[in-house]
Amino acid sequence: MHHMLRLAAAAGIAVLSISASSADDVKTYTLTLKDKTFTPSELKVPAGQAFMLEFTNENAAPAELESSDLQIEKVAPGNGKITVRVKALDAGSYAFVDEFQEDDAKGVIVAE
Amino acid sequence: MIGALIIVFREVIEAGLIIGIVLAATKGSLGSRLWIAGGTLAGVAGACLVAVFMGAIGQAFGGFGQELFNASVLGAAVVMLAWHNIWMAGHGRAMAENLFAAGRSAIAGGKTQFTLAIVVGAAVMREGAEVVLFLFGVAAGEGGNIGSMVTGGVTGLVLGAAVSALTYFGLLKIPQRHLFAVTGWLIAFLAAGMASQAAGYLQQAGTIEILGQTLWNTSWLLKDGSILGKVLHTLIGYDDRPTLLQLVAYVATLGTIVMLTRRAKQPKQPAPAAATLGAPAE
Repeated sequence: MHHMLRLAAAAGIAVLSISASSADDVKTYTLTLKDKTFTPSELKVPAGQAFMLEFTNENAAPAELESSDLQIEKVAPGNGKITVRVKALDAGSYAFVDEFQEDDAKGVIVAE
Repeated sequence: MIGALIIVFREVIEAGLIIGIVLAATKGSLGSRLWIAGGTLAGVAGACLVAVFMGAIGQAFGGFGQELFNASVLGAAVVMLAWHNIWMAGHGRAMAENLFAAGRSAIAGGKTQFTLAIVVGAAVMREGAEVVLFLFGVAAGEGGNIGSMVTGGVTGLVLGAAVSALTYFGLLKIPQRHLFAVTGWLIAFLAAGMASQAAGYLQQAGTIEILGQTLWNTSWLLKDGSILGKVLHTLIGYDDRPTLLQLVAYVATLGTIVMLTRRAKQPKQPAPAAATLGAPAE
């Protein structure tokens, strides 16, 4: 019981001490999949800034935009569009794939 | 073919494990097999529906309908799992004290089986929708290797069923008197992992923006998308890059279930005990 209270208190303090991050002017980048090719296949974004990714699947078949580096896993229906929120990234490159054709459809986001 | 097999297997492994655990947790309880089979079938039907409406779901809530949908389904499963454990704790005590007539316990058993049928259905629906979409994509594709892709996909499904069977029969190796204690803990961790996952979805949807910092990154050691990662992800909620909010959701869920289960186990007879103690003094 004491442990529970202590945990709850710790969680409460954590909530109070971290102010909610503001969602002001978040940039949106677009990404398109046609057949097995992402355009752009290498997307450059600034490091340290959260952004939105608008993904358009131009194939008739559904696609699943997936990146274990970015913790994205989201289905885009055939000829459909989805939006993904991406956290602020450290400088580096982050791979993504269409999971339904993960051996062929690959791309990378480069944060710099 | 191997590609299709791995994709499908990776998607069904979570549902496979959950079904195995639920089968063991309801072993010997009346009609539980029917409930679980019903839950699985409803889940398959739900998966097809979700796949068909994936576009509409995705467009809902400003483009984050998928995340909110997943979070809601996971949240419902967490509640059902918690309820099952708490009910089992109270029921086990009641059975020991012979308070329950056999008829009544069978009816009440139906209640908790219903909750687990929902858990199974929810898991199959969530994971199955992606399998349906993938197989649909394969069928719609014009490549010449459709046959081998379908073979791979079906083999993946069969392997998922094998995971259920392995989990179930593995758990049955545990002596009967410990079985429900073990499945109780498994279910508590299952629920905590689902709560953490639901919290992750809410963050991806932007519904919750606090506690978003990543606590650790163990993807170099074990990616949560790999087969072993998926297994641990389901069983104990392993995440290679969890956020603080996910950890809070995990600990809070586990703590709540353990606390309420303990309370349900305690015999509720403080008043008569006080009366007996008071009696000799008169």
